[in-house]
Amino acid sequence: MGNGTWSDHTYNAARTFRAATGAADFGYTAATRSQHPDTWKAHPTLDPLNVSARESRDSDEHPDALPVAVLFDVTGSMGQVPRILQTKLGKLHGLIQRKGYARDPQILFGGIGDADTDRVPLQVGQFESDNRMDEQLRTIFLEGGGGGQKSESYELAAYFMARHIRTDAWEKRQRKGYLFIIGDEFNKPRLAARHIRRVIGDDVRLDVSVESVYRELSRQWNVFFILPRQSAYFDDPAIIDHWRKLLGQNAMKLDDPAAVCELIALTIGLGEDRVDVADGLADLADVGSGAEAQSVRRALEGAADGRNRRTSADDDDALRARNGGWGRLRRLAHGTVAIRGAGTPAGLDDAGGVTFR
Amino acid sequence: MTAALPWADGRHVVVVDLGFGDAGKGATVDWLCSPRSGLDVSAVVRFNGGAQAAHNVVVGGRHHTFRQFGSGTFSGVRTLLSRYVLVDPYALAQESDQLAALGVDRPLDLIEIHRDALITTPLHRLANRAREDARGTARHGSCGTGVGETVAYALDHPDALRVRDCADGALVNRKLVALLEYYRPLLAADGALPAGAGPGAIADMVGTYLAFAQAVEVVGDERLAQLAAAGTLVFEGAQGVLLDEWHGFHPHTTWSTTTPDNALTLLAEIDARGVVLGVTRTYSTRHGHGPFPSVDVGLDALLPEPHNGAGRYQGEFRVGHLDLPLLHYAVQASRRVDALVVNHLDAVDTAALRMVDGHVDADGRAMTAPTAAFDHDLDRQQALTDAFSEAGVVTRPVAGGAAVLAEIETGLGRPVVLTADGPDRSDRSVVNTHGTAQRAA
Repeated sequence: MGNGTWSDHTYNAARTFRAATGAADFGYTAATRSQHPDTWKAHPTLDPLNVSARESRDSDEHPDALPVAVLFDVTGSMGQVPRILQTKLGKLHGLIQRKGYARDPQILFGGIGDADTDRVPLQVGQFESDNRMDEQLRTIFLEGGGGGQKSESYELAAYFMARHIRTDAWEKRQRKGYLFIIGDEFNKPRLAARHIRRVIGDDVRLDVSVESVYRELSRQWNVFFILPRQSAYFDDPAIIDHWRKLLGQNAMKLDDPAAVCELIALTIGLGEDRVDVADGLADLADVGSGAEAQSVRRALEGAADGRNRRTSADDDDALRARNGGWGRLRRLAHGTVAIRGAGTPAGLDDAGGVTFR
Repeated sequence: MTAALPWADGRHVVVVDLGFGDAGKGATVDWLCSPRSGLDVSAVVRFNGGAQAAHNVVVGGRHHTFRQFGSGTFSGVRTLLSRYVLVDPYALAQESDQLAALGVDRPLDLIEIHRDALITTPLHRLANRAREDARGTARHGSCGTGVGETVAYALDHPDALRVRDCADGALVNRKLVALLEYYRPLLAADGALPAGAGPGAIADMVGTYLAFAQAVEVVGDERLAQLAAAGTLVFEGAQGVLLDEWHGFHPHTTWSTTTPDNALTLLAEIDARGVVLGVTRTYSTRHGHGPFPSVDVGLDALLPEPHNGAGRYQGEFRVGHLDLPLLHYAVQASRRVDALVVNHLDAVDTAALRMVDGHVDADGRAMTAPTAAFDHDLDRQQALTDAFSEAGVVTRPVAGGAAVLAEIETGLGRPVVLTADGPDRSDRSVVNTHGTAQRAA
């Protein structure tokens, strides 16, 4: 007896509260939620099944397209974060452009769920450079599921981004795009071939290791992970450790999810050598994001000195030396350490230190 | 026409149930909050219990069983869940959906919750049921909503989940994990541990609490005074004084102070005055296990109960004659009752109701009427339960509704100020002079 009472009620209660706070602004979510779960599916414009490639192309208007992809976890453990992202990310394009962090940013949004338990485990939109981005955000289905293994199908999303994206930035200029994964759990232990077949439609027969997926992904993308507060595992050191092993200092904790737009913009500005941290934070204050700027500063500091990565005190100094602390981000910003190029960043260094070449 | 309520005299109003519950607090509060009362109510304040409350209100064909929303909701009156309330966000969401379906616009906008209120979780609910199952035939008569578990856990764990925690996902997560581990042996033994009762399910719950914290207004101590300054406060009690944790028939009680004590404390804190209304039907009811000396199964067929079915954990709804000595005991235990509300006057003629004058033991010997004491002695309350479990009653017939009102006023030494002869708001009357009721709506 009693089985199921918490999960059934969880679904209904969360839906009611979110509706009360305006989360129904995700129109597609509201419409889909009102139907039987067996019929739930991604909006056609966001369904990755049998998509050959999403493309970021130059145009006469935008000759120097820079692809930016933001994929966020839409499962229940993320709480209100997806809704906050929806309301804030619409400003991302303007922020990047206004501050000159990139000339022609093209932005793609997507949603990540759990391929073991969710009906809609992956959604990937198109690269846009106008207000169609807002539409895309509102069309992302917030399933709010997730499965109880403290892992979501980030690696499936990574696979799609590695294999099904084509960009002029890379093909013409060998410039990497920026991919931000926002979530709060582990990758699945392995990328399951059956998930690829079912969700994306590629005829893959063997499971793939998570490390190799991210290694492949990092060839064409600067990959970042953002763990925002208000998600379930913000304070669980195992989560950020897991991501730092894959991405090094590109795994960041953000104590205010409302600052995600600013963090992404500044990260791109730093990566593009358009700004250093101090000026970038001043920029944010400029555009009226003072509180957000403080959160961004803490996120970058945390990433830079890796203080959340190890609990053992005797390792701390060694880590600080290797990562270069706060100075590293400055060097990064000033081009001492190139974040772009065809190097092999991110992922293979077990100690979590990243070697950009 | 605005009803004249001279007894209110500008004071806030506290409504308590002098029986085992179901006397009609909800319908009373609904009427007090309606324009007809002229009280200009700014908020209904819940001061005890939690989601196990079930206050039926009928207004012009609309019916709702109020649980956490105050019974003034149909009049658009907001609800303050005070720090004494055990808040169940899951049940609150469900009730919000029900109210929205009845045409209440954005129900959650009408809810304010004190930051220190404890949270009842689905885990408490499962634990409550597991424990009650394990008692077998010795059930306490729990509603199975986890209220007692919430109090019990909080007594041993000062860091139990509270409303103020709900905006911090990591904190909620930590507290829920601790709660799950605490209950794991009990739930596993009962077979009640949900499949996937791990971090994932906890994470889903965290998402709900985060959404909850965003959807309702969380307030502090200052809020009560603001609401009091804006109009009359109506304090809506839950359950009944005869189920009080210290005055009821232990252990068939609720883990809650059902007397006016909490309401009077809240009023004292803002230096305000209140008038306490004690509510009773013209007969007795009991929903759940425990002594009920005046029970009369013959009344069941005559007094149908449209809104109180048998509950899986509460058991059958039982009906009996009005027990004056127990009513008197409830008034004593309440310490303060200024006036009375008598509901179901229409039942007097329908069912040939009788009045209980006293009790007899199993051998037919007259028993002493119970008297309330305030030393929190559960052994004494258990002895009361033992004595009354086998008790019979001495009754006499009553001659019509007016006679019943007179009996109650004389027996309890308090005036009857409101009556009802049906379930609808329009069935309620204000009593202006002794025995003369005026239809109030």
